[in-house]
Amino acid sequence: MKRLIPLAVLAVLLVARALRHLCRGERPTKAPRGPSAARRFVETHLGDVGLVAAREFRERTRGRIYRVGTLVILAAVAAAVIIPALNKSSSAPARAGVGVIGTLDAPLRSAITAAAREVPLTAHVVAEPSLATAEAALRAGTLDAMIVDGRRIVVQQGISATDSSDDAQLAHALATTLSTRATLNAAQLSPAQLARLTHPVRIPVTGLEAAARPAEVHATTIIGLILLFVLLSQYSAWILIGVAEEKSSRVVEVLLATVRAIHLLTGKVLGIGAAALAQATVVVGFALVLAKIFGSDILKGAAPLDLVSSLAWLVLGYAFYCWVYAAAGSLTERQSQLQSMSFPLALPMLFGYIVSITTASSGNASTFFKVLAYLPPTAPFAMPVLVGLGQATWWGFLLAVALSLAATVGVAQVAAGIYRRAILRTGQRVRIREVLRADH
Amino acid sequence: MSAQLEVRGLTRRYGDLTALDDLTFEVPSGQVVGFLGPNGAGKTTTMRVIFGLVEADRGEVLWNGAAIGQRERRRFGYMPEERGLYPNMLVREQVEYLGRLHGMDSQAAAAASGRWLERLGIADRATSRVDALSHGNQQRVQLAAALVHEPELIVLDEPLAGLDPTGIDAIGGVLSEQARAGSGVLFSSHQLDQVEDLCESVIIIDHGRLVASGGVDELETGGGNRLVVRVEGDREARWARQLPGVTVSEVAGGAARLVLAEGADSQQVLHAAERAGAVTEFRFERRRLSEVFREALA
Repeated sequence: MKRLIPLAVLAVLLVARALRHLCRGERPTKAPRGPSAARRFVETHLGDVGLVAAREFRERTRGRIYRVGTLVILAAVAAAVIIPALNKSSSAPARAGVGVIGTLDAPLRSAITAAAREVPLTAHVVAEPSLATAEAALRAGTLDAMIVDGRRIVVQQGISATDSSDDAQLAHALATTLSTRATLNAAQLSPAQLARLTHPVRIPVTGLEAAARPAEVHATTIIGLILLFVLLSQYSAWILIGVAEEKSSRVVEVLLATVRAIHLLTGKVLGIGAAALAQATVVVGFALVLAKIFGSDILKGAAPLDLVSSLAWLVLGYAFYCWVYAAAGSLTERQSQLQSMSFPLALPMLFGYIVSITTASSGNASTFFKVLAYLPPTAPFAMPVLVGLGQATWWGFLLAVALSLAATVGVAQVAAGIYRRAILRTGQRVRIREVLRADH
Repeated sequence: MSAQLEVRGLTRRYGDLTALDDLTFEVPSGQVVGFLGPNGAGKTTTMRVIFGLVEADRGEVLWNGAAIGQRERRRFGYMPEERGLYPNMLVREQVEYLGRLHGMDSQAAAAASGRWLERLGIADRATSRVDALSHGNQQRVQLAAALVHEPELIVLDEPLAGLDPTGIDAIGGVLSEQARAGSGVLFSSHQLDQVEDLCESVIIIDHGRLVASGGVDELETGGGNRLVVRVEGDREARWARQLPGVTVSEVAGGAARLVLAEGADSQQVLHAAERAGAVTEFRFERRRLSEVFREALA
């Protein structure tokens, strides 16, 4: 799990870097081919909204940032899926060589093996003919420890009190085991008593609450969370930049002379949303294929449910945030104002993400976190984590969806009003208070 | 009656500022109409009201006698003062896209786009990004975008600003051609010489109010009679200064420009000139549009 934390931080850095590039503008790579059947369908059946959406989709998906960004995300997903899978397949305990000078009977071999397993190491126990050969093997590294006549343990380098290396742990475990054996032998117990002492019945441990889910499920949740944050931040930025670009280039006046403001805005949101969904589908599909090939645990247990939940919240999160960013874009005058404008907007997203990733890592959802899972700005991050932890009920999930949809409708109405009033005001950055006060 | 735009009683206030004050005028089809006025007179606001970008407090805009809606506006072409194009988009795609937004199907938009780029001399830049073009060529793309759907009314805010003489001729030629084909053309400009050459009629507004309108010929021949008189030996035109009903508006190169008040007799002026010396030049002169403009705003 700790391995995923750097990935989470990397996600934040990637988003910040991508935003900087986006704010500087991008260049399309090449002219497109003819219209696709899907584009023709959208343009024919959705009128102005369809035309605007088709243009947004086309311009967005043929941009270099979209293509390079998709490749970067795919590479990050590949790393997140493949590396844990490879680690898992090579996670058998390391081998430790233990030489014995003196009698090596079956009980001693068994005790050494058991002690090494606690580290955990797989002991390779060999009888050494002399102290000299054993010391030579120890220096050569073929042995990690040697036991001299059952009374002394020798390692190559002395062990300090704070040494927690495998060799140190092996030496301590062997010392404890051999001391116990010597004490028991000295007590002259019967074989039955000896067996009871060396194989005690373990006392059961029970918890007041259910045990945490297996770590593999947490990994799925965290990977989903990171993707959610990266993709949502990216898609919201596209909306912000798209609206600001139309305003700063003044093309919006030409557009609004023939298209209604709400149609222009809706087309933009749908077009960019479609480009976003296409990218998310490619990323998730790629992750699933890799997981299947490498036998990753991200698809086991309740992980598919986590995945579906994350995808649903990606769509809901985009639907909520896109309107906020569109309204903000209409308030800017120049592209250079975008970074300062986007920072306060990103705060609720960043807050939801950080709290969610911390909770997913710890495996414990506080009451505060459960409340966040129902608040529309933070629900896209918090609710998938609650699902991943198995702490979301179906009705709670549906309630969060309903709250998010209701808030989206409200936010869309306010944002459309701000957009309509601010988009043609040029000359300087428009203050939101002026727009809300304006009668037209 | 031919199709025409009617602006009736438009009033628009921004706080204490009155941008439009009961403004009324018409733009007939088949004519190029110049829309003149000093900076801040309300020309851009009027155009924005026509396209529904600004709501008027009072008044209405009619097309063929009926109120204008989104459907009618699709048949209009608009070129705003601050040029607006997607900088990253390719030229041909941009013009096609705006044609589609005006209701053309994709084949018709593609064909018209190609035709207009050819007509405006930028066909070789069809696959260039807009921001890679010079100012003049961007202006031509903007005009192509306004004309691609063969609009019935074309409204252009300062379409000649910043153009070299070749660009002015090209765009002026296209506007005249569109008017001959039956479209109404309304355009604003500060370059009165060009307006004089291009327009059949002009509308002059100031402080949001109509101050003069009519055919260019009518306005130039209106007002008092104008005479240019040259008298040998009197380069200062002292002979004319005491004549009743005659104002000396200018003396240049020995010739005097005289404005005759209503009822003043040009023959009496000729006799007075002959009494002063040998008359080597005596002719009537039309008002120039710049004079009409200044007098209207005075």
